[in-house]
Amino acid sequence: MDQSATYIYGVVPQDIEVDAEATGVGDPPAKITSIRHGKIAALVSDVSPGRPLGTPKDLYAHEQLLNATAAEVPVLPIRFGAVVASREAVVEEFLAPYHDEFAAALTELEGRSQYVIKGRFDEDTVLGEILAENPEAARLREEISALPEDAARDHRIRLGEIINQSIEAKRDADTAAMWDQVEPVTVMRTVRQPSHELDAVHLAVLVENTRQDDLEHAVEDLGRKWANQVTLSLFGPMAPYDFIVSQDQDGE
Amino acid sequence: MTVQPVGSRPGGGVQRGSSGSGLADVIDTILDKGLVIDAYVSVSLIGIEILSIDARIVVASVDTYLRFAEATNRLDLTKSRKPGLPEVVQTATSGGGGQQAPQPEQPEQLEQLEQNKERSPLEAAGDKLSDFSDAVPRQRRQEG
Repeated sequence: MDQSATYIYGVVPQDIEVDAEATGVGDPPAKITSIRHGKIAALVSDVSPGRPLGTPKDLYAHEQLLNATAAEVPVLPIRFGAVVASREAVVEEFLAPYHDEFAAALTELEGRSQYVIKGRFDEDTVLGEILAENPEAARLREEISALPEDAARDHRIRLGEIINQSIEAKRDADTAAMWDQVEPVTVMRTVRQPSHELDAVHLAVLVENTRQDDLEHAVEDLGRKWANQVTLSLFGPMAPYDFIVSQDQDGE
Repeated sequence: MTVQPVGSRPGGGVQRGSSGSGLADVIDTILDKGLVIDAYVSVSLIGIEILSIDARIVVASVDTYLRFAEATNRLDLTKSRKPGLPEVVQTATSGGGGQQAPQPEQPEQLEQLEQNKERSPLEAAGDKLSDFSDAVPRQRRQEG
């Protein structure tokens, strides 16, 4: 009845050693082991099919294991929630059929890891800029303050829409500026969807581990220039979530 | 080589961390990115479908517009300082109380305003998510 299934976190080179303390999803958190096949190995843990996954703790566990791994070795991250029937199935259905493809991807990732650059507009500063740049926005603001709240609803929506459009334009410009800034020190770059309405920059980059300091400096340089307008964060090293594409996945 | 946790490194004026700052960042990353294993093999996704849908908040909506408009109206164009408490209080009371003594519902309104200002839809979704996943993870989507 309580048959165990196998949760897959990622694919790594076969010669890695899993820390005995490493744990993953589940309650209590399950011990991480590796399943080797040829030149590659899958990081897995036992999971009870009777317990649904997806608590915040599970999500963090999945991410932290992959990021900690990525700090040491190349890893192909699997999207959260992948479970197969057994350890044997991991080899038969997953590692064996795609061995060469995974091995090639890991070779390409050797010595590289992902970072995410996030920027958030300072709200008051960006709103002030927009009012100064856009006469219609400034006029609407005046009109709204003279009208009773109910009557001004359409004006408010219009004003908000203009602001949102202006922020999108500024986001595009800042994203392009950051892209150019980090291009010389990174291997690949990709723009992420904004995760917040005040996002100024959301970029994922793949960087050679030997150039991590260069990346930090490049981001910091722009951060100083934008000090009053945008708060920048640099996250990483993490698994290369944004640079791995499986077959038949492009259409997504 | 081993698998082990890694600490974050200092990063000047730029905030540094080994991963995103909260649940929203995690969701953004691991539910939306990485290899989709079922492009390769058939797998069972256990109970995570609802979580990933909740995380996909549309960034711009009428609520967003109204919030922006409100923030703009609160903006003091003559000064560079950020709106402080007195200004927010003024906004909260301008509907009726005038210069009367503080009314009982004021703190609540204040809190509401602050919340609107600080919280992104996604962060809010993250909270909802954690409530939700404590309460409802028993919904299983596909099995076997």
